[in-house]
Amino acid sequence: MLEQHYRHLQHLEAAINACALSVNLDAAECITTLNPRMANALQQPPELISGRYFRELLLPADETQWARIWQQLRTGQSIQEQICFLLHGNTQLWLEAAIHPVMGNDGQLTGCLLIGIDITDRKLPELRVMEDEQYFRQILENLPIGLQQFTPEGVSVEMNSRQRQIWGAQHAFLGDAEYKWLQDPFYRLNGLARMFEEARDTGKTLKREILLNYAEKNYGNVTRLFPLYYEATIFPVTDRHSRMANYFLILDDITEKKVAEISLQKSERLLDNIIENLPIGYIQFDNFGFIRRINQTQRFFFNSPHPAARRNFNVMNDELATRFELDKLFLQALEEGNPLRVEKKIDFSQDERWTTVGREVYLDLTVFPVIEPVDKEMIVVALVNDITDKKMQELENVKNQEFLLQTGDIGKIGGWEMDLETERVRWSYQSYKIHDCEPDTPINYEKAMRFFSPESQPVLEGLVKQCIETGKTFDAELTLISAKQQTKRVRCIGQPGYTNGKRTRIFGVVQDVTEQSAIEEALTRNTELMRLFFDTVDMGYAAMEKDGKLNFLNQKAEKMIGQKVEMGSNIFEVFPRLSGTVFYARLQECIQQRQSQSFGIYFSKPDKWYDFLLTPMQDGGISVFMRDITESRKMQKELRKANDQLSNLNKNLVNQNKQLEDFAHITSHNLRAPIANLRALMQMHNEASSQQERELYLGMLHEVIKKIDETLNDLVEVVQIRKDVNVEKEKLLFAERVQKVKDILLVDIETSNIKITYDFEQAPQIEYPRVYLDSILQNFITNAIRYRSPEREPELHLQTWRENDNIVLTVQDNGIGIDMERFGNKLFGFRKTFHRNKDAKGIGLFITKTQVEAMGGSIRAESRPGQGTKFIITFRPE
Amino acid sequence: MKLINMIFIVDDDPIHQQIAKIMIERQGICTNIRVFSDAQDVLDHIRQHADKVDELPDLILLDLNMPIMDGWEFLDEYSVFHDQLPKQIRIFVLTSSIDEKDKERVRHYPVVNGYLTKPLSKEIIEHLS
Repeated sequence: MLEQHYRHLQHLEAAINACALSVNLDAAECITTLNPRMANALQQPPELISGRYFRELLLPADETQWARIWQQLRTGQSIQEQICFLLHGNTQLWLEAAIHPVMGNDGQLTGCLLIGIDITDRKLPELRVMEDEQYFRQILENLPIGLQQFTPEGVSVEMNSRQRQIWGAQHAFLGDAEYKWLQDPFYRLNGLARMFEEARDTGKTLKREILLNYAEKNYGNVTRLFPLYYEATIFPVTDRHSRMANYFLILDDITEKKVAEISLQKSERLLDNIIENLPIGYIQFDNFGFIRRINQTQRFFFNSPHPAARRNFNVMNDELATRFELDKLFLQALEEGNPLRVEKKIDFSQDERWTTVGREVYLDLTVFPVIEPVDKEMIVVALVNDITDKKMQELENVKNQEFLLQTGDIGKIGGWEMDLETERVRWSYQSYKIHDCEPDTPINYEKAMRFFSPESQPVLEGLVKQCIETGKTFDAELTLISAKQQTKRVRCIGQPGYTNGKRTRIFGVVQDVTEQSAIEEALTRNTELMRLFFDTVDMGYAAMEKDGKLNFLNQKAEKMIGQKVEMGSNIFEVFPRLSGTVFYARLQECIQQRQSQSFGIYFSKPDKWYDFLLTPMQDGGISVFMRDITESRKMQKELRKANDQLSNLNKNLVNQNKQLEDFAHITSHNLRAPIANLRALMQMHNEASSQQERELYLGMLHEVIKKIDETLNDLVEVVQIRKDVNVEKEKLLFAERVQKVKDILLVDIETSNIKITYDFEQAPQIEYPRVYLDSILQNFITNAIRYRSPEREPELHLQTWRENDNIVLTVQDNGIGIDMERFGNKLFGFRKTFHRNKDAKGIGLFITKTQVEAMGGSIRAESRPGQGTKFIITFRPE
Repeated sequence: MKLINMIFIVDDDPIHQQIAKIMIERQGICTNIRVFSDAQDVLDHIRQHADKVDELPDLILLDLNMPIMDGWEFLDEYSVFHDQLPKQIRIFVLTSSIDEKDKERVRHYPVVNGYLTKPLSKEIIEHLS
């Protein structure tokens, strides 16, 4: 039994020796026995170790622990602890040790048995981890950013000092263990709670900017609140079982950065806003020439078909840009570093890819380089101002001026203008020429007056005075003595000019009519001579009653009539060729006005040109002087032609004045009215209180604008006609043109069932601008259809004939007619209507009249309500 | 401010009719406003109701340029019989014309109380009442 027990002990010892180190110490801590493992660990042979002081070989690392262990041993307690020893004073040896006290009979400690398992290999990494953890803890604790650990339920587990500082000592996180911050409305509002939940639900790391709270700052007695911005990061930490057990929140103060950013954004937004709403175009290029941005005005201007296509636009290689040398401008701005300002003409119709401008425009370009404040990159900005309208106006003005100058030269017509306040007089170049003065010599009223002859001066002064006082226009022929002492006959036309309804100036024209007067005088003298010598010169003479009954004829007259004439017979009977000529009309004029009439008639049958002079006599009879002027016809014709030209100019002059008046009238009535509406509507719109109301006014505004646009278009058309005095003429057959117009109006003609007839035999053709003739004919046919009478089949008859050198066209319909007494004076006016017809715009006859008059002709109408209308157009041949 | 019982606006421009009507209603000087496009209609109305004071307007705003019958013709005709009417109708010419000639011509009609130029404004309407 004992032996068995002993064997068992031996086995135990062998087992211990196989895995553990063991040593026996006496009470003085000297080694008595040790097993080989221990000797091996101490790296000494066992015989050298025995009896040595244990501490010399294995120094306990923790003396306090060691002292405590011995104290416990002395009381008889066994010890089981991890103990660290230092081998040779430095190498760590960790033992999982069990120490048993050996007590003497006296109850005193006599020694102890230490059995230890070497755990150094396991203990050292464990210690390192612990050390590391402490180290990191310390770092985390002292990090300049806040760090906080939460459970998935949002319970705060731990936080570092910075985080405590961020929350503030008063915060519920620090005082209230039951604090449920996820339900706190403040954190719900600023998004932090939601962010936490999101990170928890998705398992992702989230980073956001959060307005965490507000800081108070006191300035004297003013307290201001400053927002405090933090960058919050929330991330899960997965534990060993892959369950997300903990969540960390990192808070980083970004207030300063954020505030700076916000103020930058603010100023950027402001600048952005300004740029976007600049009334001129803004284009920003990067330093490679790519467009970076374009503001609203410019976008509107370009009206790109594909705005995205602009991204590929580069000013350095775009075809259109290089063609108009915009690339050079860009480079110049970059290189010189200075703003450039140029006017450029660019034909945008050359490009369809990124703009629909589609026409030639003049641009006022300001190009300058800037360093972009954020990216510190060089950019180039171009400010674009569309000055096409201004430029066109300038060009138009130059053209008009040239045109006026030209007309002035041809007709020897000068312009003048006098400011009533300063009495300063302005002359056109031609006016200086008429006065034989150096151009640009300063002129005033007194100086201008001195040019006139002693007889003319008071007349003109009177007229000017009257014009100033009553606004009466004047037109007088006066004598002028030029600076070169030449006596000239001039025609002076003047009219008042108004500013704000007040007469502020007089303006008009002065025309040198010296030549014209000379010819007129010559003609008068001729007549007198004829009268004196009618008996002796080769001239026919007849005396007759007002009805044409002949009382006397001289031989020459009989010869010219071509037959023997009995006294008492009627001139129209014996001289039938007179019928259909102007003779009868001029005779009536002579009788009514009691004035001599002189005219020529061409008789095609004997191919003779006769000159007639009808003179009323004291006794009520009429003297007829006839002269065969066939021989001198050519010469005479040329003289008359010259005369005609002059009187034509005269007429043009009158026409010009008339047109000026017309336009003044049109502007006053037809443009002021809608503009007055615009002003009223704008005011109403601005004062309107509701959106609905404003929309109503906007709708009305649109209507008014549409109307103005129509009126302007009509005016432009008329101005175009009046300006195009040199429009090309061609030989036109009336029948052909009527057919053409009928083709155009086919549908209207068929629907209205109008019967159109014509007789162009007497004057089948005319030399006239084709567009005008077509327009005139179309207008009359349209009018005849539009104003047809519902009581009868509509009919329209056109007829032409020659009257002297003129061609007359009559257009007669059987429509509803016009009350001429009432509306006659307005018939051809601009935008005048007399019917309750919705289609009537009152523009057709105005344009027709313009087209007729532009070519020197005239138009009038005869009509009775209910009985149709007859238009009579007299075309002047050239 | 005196309230006006009935105002006639005589103008062929539909937009101006609307503007004038709205502005007068805004100002609240009159509740009964009628618009006419043709002066002939106004003339007919006045003649037909020559014995009914309540049917006659207290004030007429008259445009000059109108088709068919214009303001001038209206004034000519109205001048002939206005003194037979049971009440005095105030007539203001309201036109877009700033032509001195028109103004001068209007002055010759004693039946006209004033010459106003468009656009109508609050001040003008106040002046009417």
